[in-house]
Amino acid sequence: MSALAVLLRKELHATFTSAIAYAVAAVFFLVTGYTFSLTLFFTKVANLTYIFHQMYVLLILLVPIITMRAFAEERKADTLELLLTSPVREVWIVVAKFLAALTLVAGLLAGSSAYAVILGLYGEPDWAPIYGGYLALLLLGALLVAIGVFTSSLTENQVVAATCALGLGLMLWFADAASYMLPAPLDVVAINLSLIGHFTTFVSGSMFLSDAGYYLTLSLLALFLATRVVMDR
Amino acid sequence: MSDPLPPLRPGDAIVSVERVSKRYGRVAAVTDVSLEVRRGEVLGLLGPNGSGKTTLLRMLTGYLSPTAGRLTVAGFDTEREAMQARRHIGYVPESLPLYGHMRVREFLSFIARLRGLSRRAAPAAVDEVIERVRLGDVAAAPIRTLSRGYRQRVAIAQGLVHRPDILVLDEPTNGLDPRQIIETRALIRGLAGERTIIMSSHILGEVEKTADRVAILLGGRLLDLRSMADTPDLEALFLSLT
Repeated sequence: MSALAVLLRKELHATFTSAIAYAVAAVFFLVTGYTFSLTLFFTKVANLTYIFHQMYVLLILLVPIITMRAFAEERKADTLELLLTSPVREVWIVVAKFLAALTLVAGLLAGSSAYAVILGLYGEPDWAPIYGGYLALLLLGALLVAIGVFTSSLTENQVVAATCALGLGLMLWFADAASYMLPAPLDVVAINLSLIGHFTTFVSGSMFLSDAGYYLTLSLLALFLATRVVMDR
Repeated sequence: MSDPLPPLRPGDAIVSVERVSKRYGRVAAVTDVSLEVRRGEVLGLLGPNGSGKTTLLRMLTGYLSPTAGRLTVAGFDTEREAMQARRHIGYVPESLPLYGHMRVREFLSFIARLRGLSRRAAPAAVDEVIERVRLGDVAAAPIRTLSRGYRQRVAIAQGLVHRPDILVLDEPTNGLDPRQIIETRALIRGLAGERTIIMSSHILGEVEKTADRVAILLGGRLLDLRSMADTPDLEALFLSLT
């Protein structure tokens, strides 16, 4: 665990001293702030459902940019060799990169909680969908970060890593669309693979363990694959 | 800091390579290499580019796994007891992998902690290695701003900061100017005795000036392993073997 703490500190430093983090944060808050203001102004309804769906899309688009440098940069600069010849298990290197990127995503979500505070001050929102929405976004963020860390472990090219992560995120988003063309039981598999299907239940205020399990299982799978890639050198 | 080694006499083997091979698909990078490295000696791996030197060093450091055979470092198997083995090794790769955005002291502190030094022990170890490798002038400078010679010193310092028993150097004078080469050789010779040093080079003079023994590799095979004292003309020997 000491090694994990040392690695996490280094990764957090690298994440939060990078211009990428601030560019991503600027875009995230600009877009969500703009939409929140407009929605509130026009509808005068105290809920964040629309914003949550917009954040869902923004995370799919922006998380690959946060994670693209995770391993690709280390491979490009050969610094991965330094880490992998140290007495540190590969899984800690992967977990440190995952946690550092997830911290940034959590920071974005924490910042956006200002919208919920505003609703709470000036209206009477239903808090269950708001809590559920933030939990869903955090779980979604964890899955997208894990996918991004995995694709970054495959290449030394950051653009390739980001593009592959974006592609995987989009494919998971639209996975349920293929269900209309698939025979049973594959249609059910396609529906259950879909990101959005497991997201909307949270945002509606219903929380199911199966939905949380979906995000956690896929996140662990992506982290496992990333660890295997790093080990198979 | 690496765990204390069991008492060994000078001259006992601290590194053992037993019938090690490494293949990439059909390509054999290293074939059936066996050798031992004695405690406190400087072993030079000599061979042309592509002779398997770097692959052998990478297997020794645990970065690569052998396809066949066994390597031990300080008595620890590099595959089955990788973590223990790595604690005894400091490694300076040829490409000088450094985090350019970090300052020299910050980077060495990170490496010291990563290699197992406690929060309390790390600062003293960093100060010691900065003085040893003469990095005091640039300790607060970002690594990306340093010259090639200073970057080489930082790379050597990161290999030494956790006070390993064995220092592995891959082509340590590559890309340096003549003065920096002389300084690096002097540094390596200065470390000899207190540490076991394994260095690779494709330059005859490099090995002649720094090594106690030389292992000549060609096409991934070990052609000869002998003491420099018994090798009055390394150039003639190299030509006769290759």
